[in-house]
Amino acid sequence: MSQEPIKSDKIEKALALFKKRMNRQAVLSFGVCVHCGMCTETCHYYEATKDPKMAPAYKADKVRKIYKKHFDWTGKIIPSWVGARDIKTEDDLKELVDVVFGSCTMCRRCTFNCPMGVDKALIMRTMRGVLTELDLAPQGVKDVSRDQWTIGNQMGVSDEDYLETIEWLNDELKTELDDPSASLPLDVENCNMVYAINPREIKYAPMSLLAAGKIFHAAGESWTLPSKGWDNTNFGLFSGDNALGGHMGKLVFENVQRLKGKSLVCSECGHGYRATKWESPNWSGIILEQPIYNFLEIMVDYVKSGRIKLDKTKNTEPVTYHDPCNLARSGGITEEPRFLLRQSIMDFREMYPNRADNWCCSGGGGAMSMSEFSKRRLEVAKVKADQLKATGAKIVATACHNCVDALMDLIRHYKLDMKVALVGELVANALVMERKAIPVMPAYAADSFLSGFRILVTDDEPDMVAFISAVLGDHGAEILRASNGDEALSILRKEKPSMMTLDLSMPGKTGVEVYEEMKNDKFLKDIPVFIITGQPELRKLIYDGSYPPPNGYVDKPIDEEKLLLNVRKILNLQHEKT
Amino acid sequence: MPIFEQGDVKIDVDEDGFMEEPEQWNEKVAMALATTEGVNELTERHWKLVNYLRDYYAKFGIAPMIRKLCKETGFSLKEVYEMFPSGPAKGACKVAGLAKPTGCV
Repeated sequence: MSQEPIKSDKIEKALALFKKRMNRQAVLSFGVCVHCGMCTETCHYYEATKDPKMAPAYKADKVRKIYKKHFDWTGKIIPSWVGARDIKTEDDLKELVDVVFGSCTMCRRCTFNCPMGVDKALIMRTMRGVLTELDLAPQGVKDVSRDQWTIGNQMGVSDEDYLETIEWLNDELKTELDDPSASLPLDVENCNMVYAINPREIKYAPMSLLAAGKIFHAAGESWTLPSKGWDNTNFGLFSGDNALGGHMGKLVFENVQRLKGKSLVCSECGHGYRATKWESPNWSGIILEQPIYNFLEIMVDYVKSGRIKLDKTKNTEPVTYHDPCNLARSGGITEEPRFLLRQSIMDFREMYPNRADNWCCSGGGGAMSMSEFSKRRLEVAKVKADQLKATGAKIVATACHNCVDALMDLIRHYKLDMKVALVGELVANALVMERKAIPVMPAYAADSFLSGFRILVTDDEPDMVAFISAVLGDHGAEILRASNGDEALSILRKEKPSMMTLDLSMPGKTGVEVYEEMKNDKFLKDIPVFIITGQPELRKLIYDGSYPPPNGYVDKPIDEEKLLLNVRKILNLQHEKT
Repeated sequence: MPIFEQGDVKIDVDEDGFMEEPEQWNEKVAMALATTEGVNELTERHWKLVNYLRDYYAKFGIAPMIRKLCKETGFSLKEVYEMFPSGPAKGACKVAGLAKPTGCV
């Protein structure tokens, strides 16, 4: 122990760093705590130990006292009244490390239960950032941060090892599916999805990546892994270092741009998704044009649109679901995993409390990398262990690699009879693999400029479908047919054609409704639409809407030349664009 | 610093139960550590894996990628997880006397 006073330049540096981080949210969180005690029992550190020093407000006050001393007018005048105190000794700094790194997983359960809206995780992160800049962060956090800074991923995986691993998994996937067309694509441009993962999937536990490969393959997705910027995790969130946060965000974003991907999908990692989607844009200053999704959202879409089929009898053991803090409380993703589990397992058992009120896995905030606090981490994991035990489930599913490790650790520590699985692994296990029968119209015409394109023809009049199909098919296009709006939407989702022709007046869903639904669907909105109608007055309905106009338009009766000209124009345009 | 004790095995470990002094490692230590990872018997196959981990760690100072581990030992991913249910990062590395791997594990 050292009561040695800190050198004044160190204190000055700490205060300067602290001051730099005083943005609006931070000042609010430092300023408004009324010490009502509502947060006390929401913290698993308190709940397991009943130690008042583990109450969130008490822990936050360890940092707040510095704010009061230096930034709050009452604290400047009458410090003792508001508990204002300075950092004076090396021990003060050590105590801060113990509080902000060792006694809080930044799970934000207390924040959700705070009537004043005090974000205690933000208070902890603010001080973590200061301590990180003073080089006082726990060694595990430093190691991981160093690897992210210098190598670009948190487990120090070299480019060579990454590429070799992908190649190996590629072979494993083909063997497992007994399908040479299955693959883990790497660095393919213009895909619908760029898939960023947790390095744990490359270094130690690639089962989840294989599961994702199977699911993407079954759905016929156009996706790719990037050769660089593939780590969606971000220790900047845990160390409080915004510069590292920006560095990691930039790596991922720039590679989505480089590959001209249409969206970015984060694999099952709670903090990685939160950092990438919600924090990195601020830290990196890059607002990615492409939407960012969690893999859970993608899987839900596949199931709902019929792109993958699941057989729940393949997963018979009772399963419960653990909501990762960063997905449920900080990301709003709670129903997607439940939908997927109910589709892919026989016996789902809810855990209580759940969703945004769930208890932390005990390993959040980078806790798994800080061995010095592991004893305490496992002690307070009792709350989670009791909660798991009460479900009677044999498998706890979750959607975060970090939660997986924390849960496995506590399951072993408390000798529970349970296994841990990621949602994607259970979904992949329930997959019904079937070859798709794609309707094909042979390209027999000499001028087959449409060969290689798949066009969906939508019209309620069979004659019209036959005519349009014949004209386009004669030029080499592969034709898909729909006689009403619902059928058209379902084929669009399943087959992702190059474009569609759309009649406006149809029984059931009208063309206008189909168009609106497409424009509101992230996966369909970019498929070009060519309106073919006998009622030009209906055209107004689409053009007056708030959506981008259709890509082409002709009146009935159809002029063959005009039809081909428009289709050529639409596909060429689309072709150039991609 | 915590001490791990079982029978006549007594070693320094970190808070996660990984060895602090790798030179204290021997086969008895490995067997004792294995019981904490749900492995009650170390077969010839286990030893093959453990020895590979030790050699690699001695050479490079880090744990090998799962890819290298499978390639060099000839075990499949599934077999590795069957032998060490808590996985290569935690189970196998701990038994082989390696330091705790860094990151979210």
